[in-house]
Amino acid sequence: MDIYKNPARRGELGDANASTSQSNPMCGDDISVQLKIENGVVKDAKFHGSACMVSIVSSEILLDYLVGKTLEEVKSISKEKLLEMLNLNLTTSRIGCATLALGAVQNAVTAYEEK
Amino acid sequence: MDIEKIRKDFPILGRKIGLNDLVYLDNTATTQKPLQVIDAIKDYYMEHNANVHRGIHTLSEEASEMYDNARKTVAHFINAVYPEEIIFTRGTTESLNTAAFSWGVPNLKKGDKILLTNFEHHSNLIPWQIVAKSTGAELKFIKTDEHGDVDMTEFKSALTPNVKLVCIAHASNVLGTVTDIKEISKMAHAVGALICVDGAQAVPHMPVNVQSLGCDFYAFSGHKMLGPMGIGVLYVKKSLMGQMVPSQFGGGMIKEVSLTDASWAEAPEKFEAGTPDAAGAIGLAAAIEYLSAIGMDKVREHEIKLSKYMVEKLTAIEGIKILGPLDPEKRTGLVSFYSEKVHAHDIASVLNSSGIAVRSGHHCAMPLHKELGLPATVRASYYIYNDFSDIDKLAEGVKKALKMLS
Repeated sequence: MDIYKNPARRGELGDANASTSQSNPMCGDDISVQLKIENGVVKDAKFHGSACMVSIVSSEILLDYLVGKTLEEVKSISKEKLLEMLNLNLTTSRIGCATLALGAVQNAVTAYEEK
Repeated sequence: MDIEKIRKDFPILGRKIGLNDLVYLDNTATTQKPLQVIDAIKDYYMEHNANVHRGIHTLSEEASEMYDNARKTVAHFINAVYPEEIIFTRGTTESLNTAAFSWGVPNLKKGDKILLTNFEHHSNLIPWQIVAKSTGAELKFIKTDEHGDVDMTEFKSALTPNVKLVCIAHASNVLGTVTDIKEISKMAHAVGALICVDGAQAVPHMPVNVQSLGCDFYAFSGHKMLGPMGIGVLYVKKSLMGQMVPSQFGGGMIKEVSLTDASWAEAPEKFEAGTPDAAGAIGLAAAIEYLSAIGMDKVREHEIKLSKYMVEKLTAIEGIKILGPLDPEKRTGLVSFYSEKVHAHDIASVLNSSGIAVRSGHHCAMPLHKELGLPATVRASYYIYNDFSDIDKLAEGVKKALKMLS
Protein backbone atom coordinates (compact mmCIF):
# COMPACT_ATOMS: atom_id res chain seq x y z
CA MET A 1 0.00 0.00 0.00
CA ASP A 2 2.89 2.37 0.81
CA ILE A 3 4.51 1.62 -2.54
CA TYR A 4 1.20 2.36 -4.32
CA LYS A 5 0.71 5.72 -2.60
CA ASN A 6 4.28 6.97 -3.03
CA PRO A 7 6.09 5.09 -5.76
CA ALA A 8 9.69 6.36 -5.69
CA ARG A 9 10.33 5.37 -9.30
CA ARG A 10 7.36 7.22 -10.70
CA GLY A 11 8.49 10.18 -12.78
CA GLU A 12 10.56 11.20 -15.76
CA LEU A 13 14.20 10.38 -16.39
CA GLY A 14 15.93 13.33 -18.09
CA ASP A 15 18.88 11.39 -19.47
CA ALA A 16 17.09 8.21 -20.52
CA ASN A 17 18.44 6.47 -23.61
CA ALA A 18 15.84 3.72 -23.86
CA SER A 19 12.11 4.08 -23.44
CA THR A 20 8.87 2.54 -24.51
CA SER A 21 5.29 2.34 -23.42
CA GLN A 22 2.98 -0.58 -23.12
CA SER A 23 -0.76 -0.57 -22.79
CA ASN A 24 -3.28 -3.15 -21.80
CA PRO A 25 -6.19 -2.90 -24.22
CA MET A 26 -8.42 -4.86 -21.87
CA CYS A 27 -8.36 -2.24 -19.15
CA GLY A 28 -6.91 0.95 -20.58
CA ASP A 29 -3.75 0.89 -18.45
CA ASP A 30 -0.81 2.62 -20.08
CA ILE A 31 2.71 2.47 -18.60
CA SER A 32 5.77 4.24 -20.01
CA VAL A 33 9.19 3.08 -18.90
CA GLN A 34 12.42 5.06 -19.25
CA LEU A 35 15.84 3.48 -18.79
CA LYS A 36 19.34 4.87 -18.64
CA ILE A 37 21.72 2.26 -19.98
CA GLU A 38 25.54 2.48 -19.76
CA ASN A 39 28.00 -0.19 -20.89
CA GLY A 40 25.28 -2.80 -21.09
CA VAL A 41 24.01 -2.17 -17.57
CA VAL A 42 20.82 -0.42 -16.43
CA LYS A 43 21.94 2.60 -14.36
CA ASP A 44 18.56 4.13 -13.61
CA ALA A 45 14.88 3.58 -14.36
CA LYS A 46 11.62 5.46 -14.03
CA PHE A 47 8.01 4.91 -15.07
CA HIS A 48 4.91 7.01 -15.57
CA GLY A 49 1.43 6.63 -16.95
CA SER A 50 -2.10 5.89 -16.00
CA ALA A 51 -2.48 2.60 -14.26
CA CYS A 52 -4.07 0.65 -11.46
CA MET A 53 -2.52 -0.32 -8.16
CA VAL A 54 -1.22 -3.67 -9.34
CA SER A 55 0.53 -2.09 -12.36
CA ILE A 56 2.07 0.65 -10.22
CA VAL A 57 3.36 -1.66 -7.51
CA SER A 58 4.71 -4.10 -10.06
CA SER A 59 6.44 -1.28 -12.02
CA GLU A 60 8.07 -0.01 -8.85
CA ILE A 61 9.34 -3.40 -7.71
CA LEU A 62 10.51 -4.38 -11.19
CA LEU A 63 12.41 -1.15 -11.84
CA ASP A 64 14.05 -1.31 -8.42
CA TYR A 65 15.16 -4.83 -9.17
CA LEU A 66 16.60 -4.15 -12.59
CA VAL A 67 18.85 -1.20 -11.73
CA GLY A 68 22.38 -2.58 -11.76
CA LYS A 69 21.44 -5.59 -13.91
CA THR A 70 22.96 -6.29 -17.33
CA LEU A 71 20.73 -6.16 -20.40
CA GLU A 72 21.01 -9.94 -20.72
CA GLU A 73 19.74 -10.31 -17.17
CA VAL A 74 16.88 -7.90 -17.81
CA LYS A 75 15.83 -9.79 -20.92
CA SER A 76 15.80 -13.06 -19.04
CA ILE A 77 13.38 -11.93 -16.29
CA SER A 78 10.36 -14.16 -16.67
CA LYS A 79 6.77 -13.31 -15.82
CA GLU A 80 6.91 -16.04 -13.19
CA LYS A 81 9.98 -14.45 -11.59
CA LEU A 82 8.24 -11.06 -11.45
CA LEU A 83 5.06 -12.53 -9.95
CA GLU A 84 7.22 -14.31 -7.37
CA MET A 85 8.92 -11.00 -6.45
CA LEU A 86 5.54 -9.27 -6.16
CA ASN A 87 4.19 -11.94 -3.86
CA LEU A 88 0.61 -10.68 -4.33
CA ASN A 89 -2.34 -13.00 -4.44
CA LEU A 90 -3.47 -12.10 -7.96
CA THR A 91 -6.45 -13.34 -9.89
CA THR A 92 -5.91 -14.36 -13.52
CA SER A 93 -7.34 -11.12 -14.86
CA ARG A 94 -4.85 -9.05 -12.86
CA ILE A 95 -1.75 -10.95 -13.98
CA GLY A 96 -1.86 -8.82 -17.14
CA CYS A 97 -1.71 -5.68 -14.96
CA ALA A 98 1.24 -7.09 -13.02
CA THR A 99 3.29 -7.97 -16.08
CA LEU A 100 2.56 -4.82 -18.11
CA ALA A 101 5.76 -3.07 -17.02
CA LEU A 102 7.88 -6.14 -17.74
CA GLY A 103 6.76 -6.11 -21.37
CA ALA A 104 7.57 -2.39 -21.58
CA VAL A 105 11.05 -2.86 -20.06
CA GLN A 106 11.95 -5.76 -22.33
CA ASN A 107 10.68 -3.93 -25.42
CA ALA A 108 12.77 -0.90 -24.43
CA VAL A 109 15.89 -3.05 -24.11
CA THR A 110 15.28 -4.77 -27.44
CA ALA A 111 14.72 -1.42 -29.15
CA TYR A 112 17.89 -0.05 -27.53
CA GLU A 113 19.95 -2.98 -28.81
CA GLU A 114 18.58 -2.58 -32.32
CA LYS A 115 19.57 1.10 -32.46
CA MET B 1 -42.39 -8.05 -9.99
CA ASP B 2 -41.60 -10.68 -7.39
CA ILE B 3 -37.80 -10.47 -7.16
CA GLU B 4 -37.52 -13.23 -4.55
CA LYS B 5 -39.43 -15.62 -6.78
CA ILE B 6 -37.35 -14.63 -9.83
CA ARG B 7 -34.09 -15.14 -7.92
CA LYS B 8 -35.05 -18.76 -7.17
CA ASP B 9 -34.93 -19.48 -10.91
CA PHE B 10 -31.23 -18.52 -11.06
CA PRO B 11 -29.12 -21.16 -9.28
CA ILE B 12 -25.89 -19.15 -9.71
CA LEU B 13 -27.26 -16.30 -7.56
CA GLY B 14 -27.01 -18.60 -4.55
CA ARG B 15 -23.24 -18.83 -4.95
CA LYS B 16 -20.67 -17.53 -2.51
CA ILE B 17 -17.70 -15.45 -3.57
CA GLY B 18 -15.23 -16.21 -0.80
CA LEU B 19 -17.37 -15.82 2.31
CA ASN B 20 -19.77 -13.32 0.72
CA ASP B 21 -23.02 -13.77 -1.14
CA LEU B 22 -22.65 -13.00 -4.82
CA VAL B 23 -23.98 -9.57 -5.83
CA TYR B 24 -24.08 -9.75 -9.61
CA LEU B 25 -23.96 -6.28 -11.19
CA ASP B 26 -22.26 -7.08 -14.49
CA ASN B 27 -25.38 -7.65 -16.56
CA THR B 28 -24.34 -5.37 -19.40
CA ALA B 29 -21.50 -7.81 -20.08
CA THR B 30 -23.70 -10.86 -19.76
CA THR B 31 -26.72 -11.91 -17.73
CA GLN B 32 -27.19 -15.06 -15.68
CA LYS B 33 -29.42 -17.86 -16.96
CA PRO B 34 -32.62 -19.14 -15.38
CA LEU B 35 -33.35 -22.86 -14.99
CA GLN B 36 -35.99 -22.53 -17.72
CA VAL B 37 -33.25 -21.65 -20.26
CA ILE B 38 -30.75 -24.21 -18.94
CA ASP B 39 -33.47 -26.89 -19.04
CA ALA B 40 -34.53 -25.98 -22.59
CA ILE B 41 -30.95 -26.47 -23.80
CA LYS B 42 -30.59 -29.68 -21.80
CA ASP B 43 -33.87 -31.00 -23.18
CA TYR B 44 -32.77 -30.23 -26.73
CA TYR B 45 -29.49 -32.14 -26.34
CA MET B 46 -31.02 -35.01 -24.36
CA GLU B 47 -34.11 -35.56 -26.49
CA HIS B 48 -34.01 -33.88 -29.90
CA ASN B 49 -30.45 -33.18 -31.06
CA ALA B 50 -29.85 -33.56 -34.79
CA ASN B 51 -28.61 -31.32 -37.57
CA VAL B 52 -31.39 -29.04 -38.75
CA HIS B 53 -32.84 -28.99 -42.28
CA ARG B 54 -30.67 -31.91 -43.29
CA GLY B 55 -32.38 -35.18 -42.47
CA ILE B 56 -35.61 -36.97 -43.12
CA HIS B 57 -35.41 -38.75 -39.78
CA THR B 58 -37.55 -37.86 -36.77
CA LEU B 59 -34.86 -36.19 -34.69
CA SER B 60 -33.84 -33.89 -37.54
CA GLU B 61 -37.44 -32.94 -38.12
CA GLU B 62 -37.97 -32.20 -34.44
CA ALA B 63 -34.77 -30.15 -34.24
CA SER B 64 -35.70 -28.24 -37.42
CA GLU B 65 -39.16 -27.46 -36.13
CA MET B 66 -37.78 -26.25 -32.79
CA TYR B 67 -35.21 -24.07 -34.58
CA ASP B 68 -37.87 -22.60 -36.91
CA ASN B 69 -40.16 -21.96 -33.95
CA ALA B 70 -37.34 -20.12 -32.15
CA ARG B 71 -37.12 -17.81 -35.16
CA LYS B 72 -40.86 -17.14 -34.95
CA THR B 73 -40.56 -16.44 -31.21
CA VAL B 74 -37.80 -13.87 -31.85
CA ALA B 75 -39.74 -12.26 -34.71
CA HIS B 76 -42.84 -11.93 -32.54
CA PHE B 77 -40.81 -10.53 -29.60
CA ILE B 78 -39.45 -7.57 -31.57
CA ASN B 79 -42.57 -7.32 -33.75
CA ALA B 80 -40.91 -8.15 -37.05
CA VAL B 81 -43.47 -8.68 -39.84
CA TYR B 82 -41.98 -11.98 -41.07
CA PRO B 83 -39.87 -14.67 -39.32
CA GLU B 84 -37.64 -14.56 -42.43
CA GLU B 85 -36.51 -11.11 -41.33
CA ILE B 86 -34.61 -12.78 -38.47
CA ILE B 87 -31.07 -13.93 -39.25
CA PHE B 88 -29.48 -15.99 -36.47
CA THR B 89 -25.84 -15.11 -35.78
CA ARG B 90 -23.29 -15.71 -33.02
CA GLY B 91 -24.14 -12.40 -31.35
CA THR B 92 -24.42 -8.66 -31.91
CA THR B 93 -20.87 -8.49 -33.26
CA GLU B 94 -21.54 -11.02 -35.99
CA SER B 95 -24.91 -9.38 -36.69
CA LEU B 96 -23.30 -5.99 -37.28
CA ASN B 97 -20.53 -7.57 -39.34
CA THR B 98 -23.22 -9.19 -41.48
CA ALA B 99 -24.94 -5.83 -42.00
CA ALA B 100 -21.56 -4.29 -42.87
CA PHE B 101 -20.32 -6.91 -45.29
CA SER B 102 -23.61 -8.18 -46.74
CA TRP B 103 -25.20 -4.77 -47.18
CA GLY B 104 -22.50 -2.12 -46.67
CA VAL B 105 -19.82 -3.38 -49.03
CA PRO B 106 -22.07 -4.03 -52.06
CA ASN B 107 -24.17 -0.87 -51.61
CA LEU B 108 -21.79 1.91 -50.58
CA LYS B 109 -19.32 3.78 -52.74
CA LYS B 110 -16.96 6.75 -52.77
CA GLY B 111 -18.81 9.96 -51.91
CA ASP B 112 -21.29 8.17 -49.63
CA LYS B 113 -21.28 8.86 -45.91
CA ILE B 114 -21.92 6.65 -42.90
CA LEU B 115 -23.06 8.61 -39.88
CA LEU B 116 -22.19 7.22 -36.44
CA THR B 117 -21.97 8.47 -32.85
CA ASN B 118 -18.81 8.77 -30.76
CA PHE B 119 -20.19 6.32 -28.17
CA GLU B 120 -20.60 3.25 -30.35
CA HIS B 121 -19.38 -0.07 -29.03
CA HIS B 122 -16.38 -1.26 -31.07
CA SER B 123 -18.69 -3.77 -32.77
CA ASN B 124 -20.78 -1.00 -34.37
CA LEU B 125 -17.66 0.98 -35.29
CA ILE B 126 -14.87 -1.24 -36.56
CA PRO B 127 -16.94 -3.13 -39.21
CA TRP B 128 -17.89 0.29 -40.68
CA GLN B 129 -14.24 1.44 -40.59
CA ILE B 130 -13.41 -1.60 -42.73
CA VAL B 131 -16.39 -0.96 -45.04
CA ALA B 132 -15.25 2.67 -45.44
CA LYS B 133 -11.72 1.60 -46.30
CA SER B 134 -12.85 -0.93 -48.87
CA THR B 135 -15.62 1.12 -50.54
CA GLY B 136 -14.23 4.66 -50.26
CA ALA B 137 -17.28 5.77 -48.26
CA GLU B 138 -16.58 8.23 -45.46
CA LEU B 139 -17.33 7.95 -41.72
CA LYS B 140 -18.81 10.94 -39.95
CA PHE B 141 -19.38 11.20 -36.19
CA ILE B 142 -22.00 12.90 -34.04
CA LYS B 143 -21.02 13.78 -30.50
CA THR B 144 -23.19 13.55 -27.43
CA ASP B 145 -23.93 16.52 -25.23
CA GLU B 146 -22.75 16.67 -21.60
CA HIS B 147 -25.63 14.44 -20.48
CA GLY B 148 -24.79 11.76 -23.01
CA ASP B 149 -27.73 12.62 -25.26
CA VAL B 150 -27.38 12.72 -29.03
CA ASP B 151 -27.35 16.35 -30.05
CA MET B 152 -30.37 16.39 -32.39
CA THR B 153 -29.52 19.76 -33.92
CA GLU B 154 -26.05 18.52 -34.78
CA PHE B 155 -27.55 15.26 -36.03
CA LYS B 156 -29.97 17.10 -38.28
CA SER B 157 -27.27 19.25 -39.84
CA ALA B 158 -25.01 16.21 -40.35
CA LEU B 159 -27.77 14.42 -42.26
CA THR B 160 -26.82 15.53 -45.74
CA PRO B 161 -28.22 13.73 -48.81
CA ASN B 162 -24.98 11.76 -49.27
CA VAL B 163 -25.48 10.04 -45.90
CA LYS B 164 -26.56 6.54 -46.88
CA LEU B 165 -26.52 4.87 -43.48
CA VAL B 166 -26.86 5.87 -39.81
CA CYS B 167 -25.26 3.45 -37.31
CA ILE B 168 -26.29 3.98 -33.72
CA ALA B 169 -26.72 2.16 -30.43
CA HIS B 170 -30.29 2.02 -29.10
CA ALA B 171 -28.68 2.27 -25.65
CA SER B 172 -25.05 3.09 -24.92
CA ASN B 173 -23.17 0.35 -23.05
CA VAL B 174 -21.04 3.00 -21.30
CA LEU B 175 -23.21 6.11 -20.84
CA GLY B 176 -26.39 4.12 -20.38
CA THR B 177 -28.24 6.64 -22.55
CA VAL B 178 -31.29 5.41 -24.42
CA THR B 179 -31.39 7.07 -27.84
CA ASP B 180 -34.56 8.19 -29.57
CA ILE B 181 -34.40 5.68 -32.41
CA LYS B 182 -37.91 6.49 -33.64
CA GLU B 183 -37.02 10.14 -34.24
CA ILE B 184 -33.56 9.34 -35.58
CA SER B 185 -34.87 6.80 -38.08
CA LYS B 186 -37.56 9.22 -39.23
CA MET B 187 -34.92 11.89 -39.85
CA ALA B 188 -32.57 9.41 -41.56
CA HIS B 189 -35.31 8.10 -43.85
CA ALA B 190 -36.25 11.66 -44.79
CA VAL B 191 -32.88 12.05 -46.55
CA GLY B 192 -33.01 8.53 -47.98
CA ALA B 193 -30.57 6.97 -45.48
CA LEU B 194 -31.05 3.60 -43.80
CA ILE B 195 -30.55 2.98 -40.11
CA CYS B 196 -28.55 0.16 -38.48
CA VAL B 197 -29.22 -0.13 -34.76
CA ASP B 198 -27.09 -1.89 -32.14
CA GLY B 199 -29.78 -3.07 -29.77
CA ALA B 200 -27.55 -5.18 -27.49
CA GLN B 201 -28.31 -2.99 -24.46
CA ALA B 202 -31.93 -2.25 -25.34
CA VAL B 203 -33.74 -5.50 -26.25
CA PRO B 204 -32.97 -7.09 -22.84
CA HIS B 205 -34.29 -4.08 -20.94
CA MET B 206 -37.33 -2.57 -22.68
CA PRO B 207 -40.09 -3.35 -25.16
CA VAL B 208 -38.62 -3.08 -28.68
CA ASN B 209 -40.81 -2.85 -31.75
CA VAL B 210 -38.71 -2.73 -34.91
CA GLN B 211 -41.67 -1.61 -37.01
CA SER B 212 -42.71 1.36 -34.92
CA LEU B 213 -39.05 2.34 -34.39
CA GLY B 214 -38.58 2.26 -38.17
CA CYS B 215 -35.43 0.12 -38.13
CA ASP B 216 -33.81 -1.23 -41.26
CA PHE B 217 -31.18 -3.35 -39.46
CA TYR B 218 -31.38 -4.21 -35.78
CA ALA B 219 -28.80 -6.35 -33.95
CA PHE B 220 -28.80 -7.97 -30.50
CA SER B 221 -27.37 -10.85 -28.47
CA GLY B 222 -29.04 -13.71 -26.63
CA HIS B 223 -26.63 -13.87 -23.69
CA LYS B 224 -27.42 -10.35 -22.49
CA MET B 225 -31.10 -11.28 -22.08
CA LEU B 226 -30.95 -14.54 -20.10
CA GLY B 227 -30.17 -16.66 -23.17
CA PRO B 228 -27.02 -18.64 -23.87
CA MET B 229 -23.77 -17.26 -25.27
CA GLY B 230 -23.14 -17.89 -28.97
CA ILE B 231 -26.55 -16.88 -30.35
CA GLY B 232 -27.59 -13.48 -31.63
CA VAL B 233 -29.95 -11.86 -34.08
CA LEU B 234 -29.81 -9.55 -37.05
CA TYR B 235 -33.23 -8.24 -38.02
CA VAL B 236 -33.32 -7.01 -41.60
CA LYS B 237 -36.40 -5.36 -43.10
CA LYS B 238 -37.63 -7.73 -45.78
CA SER B 239 -37.51 -5.20 -48.61
CA LEU B 240 -33.75 -4.80 -48.04
CA MET B 241 -32.87 -8.49 -48.17
CA GLY B 242 -32.62 -8.30 -51.97
CA GLN B 243 -29.85 -5.68 -51.75
CA MET B 244 -27.73 -7.99 -49.62
CA VAL B 245 -25.19 -10.61 -50.63
CA PRO B 246 -23.98 -13.43 -48.38
CA SER B 247 -20.67 -12.82 -46.62
CA GLN B 248 -20.11 -16.43 -45.53
CA PHE B 249 -20.35 -19.37 -47.85
CA GLY B 250 -20.71 -23.14 -47.59
CA GLY B 251 -23.33 -25.61 -46.41
CA GLY B 252 -26.93 -24.71 -45.74
CA MET B 253 -26.97 -21.45 -47.71
CA ILE B 254 -27.11 -22.72 -51.29
CA LYS B 255 -29.76 -23.48 -53.87
CA GLU B 256 -27.57 -25.17 -56.46
CA VAL B 257 -23.83 -25.83 -56.72
CA SER B 258 -21.63 -26.85 -59.65
CA LEU B 259 -17.86 -27.25 -59.57
CA THR B 260 -17.32 -23.68 -60.64
CA ASP B 261 -20.39 -21.78 -59.47
CA ALA B 262 -23.21 -21.66 -56.93
CA SER B 263 -26.53 -19.94 -56.35
CA TRP B 264 -28.03 -19.03 -53.01
CA ALA B 265 -30.99 -20.17 -50.96
CA GLU B 266 -33.62 -17.63 -49.97
CA ALA B 267 -33.11 -15.35 -46.95
CA PRO B 268 -32.54 -15.93 -44.09
CA GLU B 269 -30.84 -19.27 -44.89
CA LYS B 270 -28.47 -17.65 -47.39
CA PHE B 271 -27.01 -15.61 -44.52
CA GLU B 272 -26.64 -18.58 -42.17
CA ALA B 273 -23.89 -20.67 -43.73
CA GLY B 274 -22.95 -23.85 -41.88
CA THR B 275 -24.64 -25.73 -39.07
CA PRO B 276 -26.46 -23.19 -36.90
CA ASP B 277 -26.45 -23.05 -33.11
CA ALA B 278 -29.86 -24.70 -32.84
CA ALA B 279 -29.57 -25.25 -29.08
CA GLY B 280 -28.62 -21.57 -28.72
CA ALA B 281 -31.67 -20.43 -30.69
CA ILE B 282 -33.92 -22.70 -28.62
CA GLY B 283 -32.32 -21.35 -25.43
CA LEU B 284 -32.89 -17.80 -26.64
CA ALA B 285 -36.55 -18.60 -27.33
CA ALA B 286 -36.86 -19.95 -23.76
CA ALA B 287 -35.31 -16.71 -22.46
CA ILE B 288 -37.80 -14.66 -24.48
CA GLU B 289 -40.67 -16.71 -23.09
CA TYR B 290 -39.33 -16.12 -19.57
CA LEU B 291 -39.05 -12.35 -20.10
CA SER B 292 -42.43 -12.17 -21.84
CA ALA B 293 -44.09 -13.91 -18.88
CA ILE B 294 -42.77 -11.10 -16.67
CA GLY B 295 -43.59 -8.46 -19.30
CA MET B 296 -40.99 -6.16 -20.85
CA ASP B 297 -42.87 -3.08 -19.62
CA LYS B 298 -42.48 -4.45 -16.07
CA VAL B 299 -38.77 -5.09 -16.67
CA ARG B 300 -38.34 -1.52 -17.82
CA GLU B 301 -40.31 -0.13 -14.88
CA HIS B 302 -38.17 -2.11 -12.42
CA GLU B 303 -34.94 -0.89 -13.99
CA ILE B 304 -36.02 2.75 -13.99
CA LYS B 305 -36.52 2.43 -10.21
CA LEU B 306 -33.10 0.85 -9.83
CA SER B 307 -31.46 3.50 -12.06
CA LYS B 308 -32.97 6.29 -9.98
CA TYR B 309 -31.71 4.69 -6.76
CA MET B 310 -28.28 3.90 -8.19
CA VAL B 311 -27.74 7.45 -9.48
CA GLU B 312 -28.82 8.88 -6.11
CA LYS B 313 -26.58 6.54 -4.12
CA LEU B 314 -23.48 7.00 -6.27
CA THR B 315 -23.70 10.76 -6.69
CA ALA B 316 -23.98 11.04 -2.88
CA ILE B 317 -20.48 9.55 -2.49
CA GLU B 318 -17.83 12.24 -2.35
CA GLY B 319 -15.23 11.76 -5.06
CA ILE B 320 -17.44 9.65 -7.33
CA LYS B 321 -18.60 10.99 -10.67
CA ILE B 322 -21.10 9.28 -12.91
CA LEU B 323 -21.42 9.28 -16.70
CA GLY B 324 -24.57 9.71 -18.73
CA PRO B 325 -28.02 11.12 -18.02
CA LEU B 326 -29.29 11.79 -14.50
CA ASP B 327 -32.88 11.19 -15.60
CA PRO B 328 -33.58 7.46 -14.99
CA GLU B 329 -36.16 7.46 -17.82
CA LYS B 330 -33.31 8.13 -20.25
CA ARG B 331 -31.19 5.27 -18.98
CA THR B 332 -30.94 1.56 -19.69
CA GLY B 333 -29.94 -0.74 -16.81
CA LEU B 334 -26.46 0.54 -16.07
CA VAL B 335 -24.45 3.31 -14.45
CA SER B 336 -20.75 3.92 -15.20
CA PHE B 337 -18.73 5.90 -12.70
CA TYR B 338 -15.20 6.83 -11.72
CA SER B 339 -13.02 8.39 -9.08
CA GLU B 340 -10.28 10.83 -9.96
CA LYS B 341 -8.09 9.32 -7.27
CA VAL B 342 -8.63 5.58 -7.47
CA HIS B 343 -8.28 3.51 -10.63
CA ALA B 344 -11.40 1.69 -11.83
CA HIS B 345 -9.64 -1.68 -11.64
CA ASP B 346 -8.78 -1.18 -8.01
CA ILE B 347 -12.36 -0.22 -7.14
CA ALA B 348 -13.54 -3.36 -8.94
CA SER B 349 -11.01 -5.48 -7.03
CA VAL B 350 -12.16 -4.15 -3.66
CA LEU B 351 -15.79 -4.71 -4.67
CA ASN B 352 -14.97 -8.28 -5.69
CA SER B 353 -13.52 -8.89 -2.24
CA SER B 354 -17.05 -8.22 -0.95
CA GLY B 355 -18.60 -10.54 -3.54
CA ILE B 356 -19.77 -7.71 -5.83
CA ALA B 357 -19.24 -8.31 -9.55
CA VAL B 358 -18.88 -5.17 -11.70
CA ARG B 359 -16.96 -4.42 -14.86
CA SER B 360 -14.01 -2.04 -15.03
CA GLY B 361 -12.19 -0.85 -18.11
CA HIS B 362 -13.18 0.96 -21.30
CA HIS B 363 -16.07 -1.42 -22.02
CA CYS B 364 -15.16 -1.79 -25.71
CA ALA B 365 -15.58 1.96 -26.25
CA MET B 366 -12.00 3.22 -26.40
CA PRO B 367 -12.68 6.37 -28.48
CA LEU B 368 -15.36 7.55 -26.02
CA HIS B 369 -13.08 7.04 -23.02
CA LYS B 370 -10.28 8.92 -24.81
CA GLU B 371 -12.64 11.78 -25.50
CA LEU B 372 -13.80 11.85 -21.87
CA GLY B 373 -10.15 11.78 -20.79
CA LEU B 374 -10.73 8.67 -18.71
CA PRO B 375 -8.50 5.59 -18.96
CA ALA B 376 -11.18 3.39 -17.46
CA THR B 377 -14.50 3.50 -15.64
CA VAL B 378 -16.42 1.16 -13.34
CA ARG B 379 -19.77 -0.03 -14.65
CA ALA B 380 -22.51 -1.44 -12.44
CA SER B 381 -25.39 -2.94 -14.39
CA TYR B 382 -28.56 -4.53 -13.08
CA TYR B 383 -31.34 -6.77 -14.21
CA ILE B 384 -34.59 -8.42 -13.18
CA TYR B 385 -33.02 -10.27 -10.23
CA ASN B 386 -31.33 -7.19 -8.65
CA ASP B 387 -32.94 -5.05 -5.99
CA PHE B 388 -32.20 -2.01 -3.83
CA SER B 389 -30.14 -4.04 -1.35
CA ASP B 390 -27.65 -4.89 -4.13
CA ILE B 391 -27.20 -1.17 -4.78
CA ASP B 392 -26.74 -0.49 -1.06
CA LYS B 393 -23.98 -3.11 -0.97
CA LEU B 394 -22.36 -1.55 -4.03
CA ALA B 395 -22.39 1.93 -2.49
CA GLU B 396 -20.85 0.60 0.73
CA GLY B 397 -18.18 -1.25 -1.28
CA VAL B 398 -17.30 1.86 -3.27
CA LYS B 399 -16.94 3.88 -0.06
CA LYS B 400 -14.69 1.18 1.36
CA ALA B 401 -12.53 1.22 -1.78
CA LEU B 402 -12.14 5.00 -1.69
CA LYS B 403 -11.26 4.92 2.00
CA MET B 404 -8.66 2.19 1.48
CA LEU B 405 -7.02 3.53 -1.65
CA SER B 406 -7.18 7.32 -1.73
